[in-house]
Amino acid sequence: MDNRVSIAQTRIGRGPEVLRACGLGSCIAVGLFDPRNRIGGLGHMLLPSHPEDSPFGKAGKYVDIGISGMVEELVQAGASRTGLVAKIAGGANMFETTYQTLINSIGARNAKSARETLAKLAIPLAGEEVGGNRGRTVEFDLATGKMLVYCARDEDPILI
Amino acid sequence: MPFRELSHIQLDALKEISNIGMGHAATALSQMIGQTVRLRVPQVTVTEISQVPEHLGGAEQLMVGITMQVLGDARGSIMLLFPQESAHRLLCSLLGHQDRGHTLSEVDISALKEVGNILASAYLNALGNLLKKVLIPSVPLLANDMAGAVVDNVLIELSRSGDLAMMVETDFSGGQNREKTIRGHFFLLPDPATLDIFVNLVGGLHG
Repeated sequence: MDNRVSIAQTRIGRGPEVLRACGLGSCIAVGLFDPRNRIGGLGHMLLPSHPEDSPFGKAGKYVDIGISGMVEELVQAGASRTGLVAKIAGGANMFETTYQTLINSIGARNAKSARETLAKLAIPLAGEEVGGNRGRTVEFDLATGKMLVYCARDEDPILI
Repeated sequence: MPFRELSHIQLDALKEISNIGMGHAATALSQMIGQTVRLRVPQVTVTEISQVPEHLGGAEQLMVGITMQVLGDARGSIMLLFPQESAHRLLCSLLGHQDRGHTLSEVDISALKEVGNILASAYLNALGNLLKKVLIPSVPLLANDMAGAVVDNVLIELSRSGDLAMMVETDFSGGQNREKTIRGHFFLLPDPATLDIFVNLVGGLHG
């Protein structure tokens, strides 16, 4: 059973399916869930927002259009547009350096873009596990909307 | 130049310059650890960015990764990845201490970054001399975590200009006996925008 959501991918499904995004560093995983209809999706995004001038590439690369695309897909599949809640994880800064560069702040910018996009779409953020300097693997349960976050050096996952 | 349009000759040429660069880097490493370092034949892979973690042995595999940007006349990234056990064996050879499990001390981190710096400098120097270009590595960054998390910064950089990544990979190993082998993977990921520089110059060399 392949339930993996790879980099630059968004994927939707129904409970009891569990979607999984592995090895997130600065990337961010955004989970959307409609509790009433037990339908949801997970995206594994790289960049905060799509550039206005250059060609798109995959929409799932970008936090902003990745989220809005996933919302549309969910509504088409029968989700309630106003019933969606969101959870986010990832957005770390894997490299501790003494100087701040554009590269090592990308995680924080991904998290910021996710919060802003969700606010714009009026989707409440029900939980987050972001930032820090650790890698994460996320499991999103589409029956319950629970998100489990595994870190490399911790035995137990964090539940959000 | 899009990655997919590279011809066989161009791919071979990239392998060859990488082999020469890695030869210099291996000599440097061999002197540091006082052991023979063996090189595999380089591989050039063009793949979807999303597939890169799979090429590295899976997104959740624990790795010590040292990444550097290539600065100067051509741009790109260099990644040096060690499976965790290999990183600790390398530290034992370098610092002469006992294996202390999975955490890295300040000194360990500093030593590994220095290894990254020396290997990347040797590699880029050789490439630069060959191509008559100035290529310098940035300050090394180190992360000790899941492979996917260690490399996604590099992938984020690449994803700005496309959905594909080109990796020039050389595997190397050092150490005499099998239980103590140090294995590492050295990657050059040229930026699509400056790939032409490598390819044109290499093309020039070949005729």
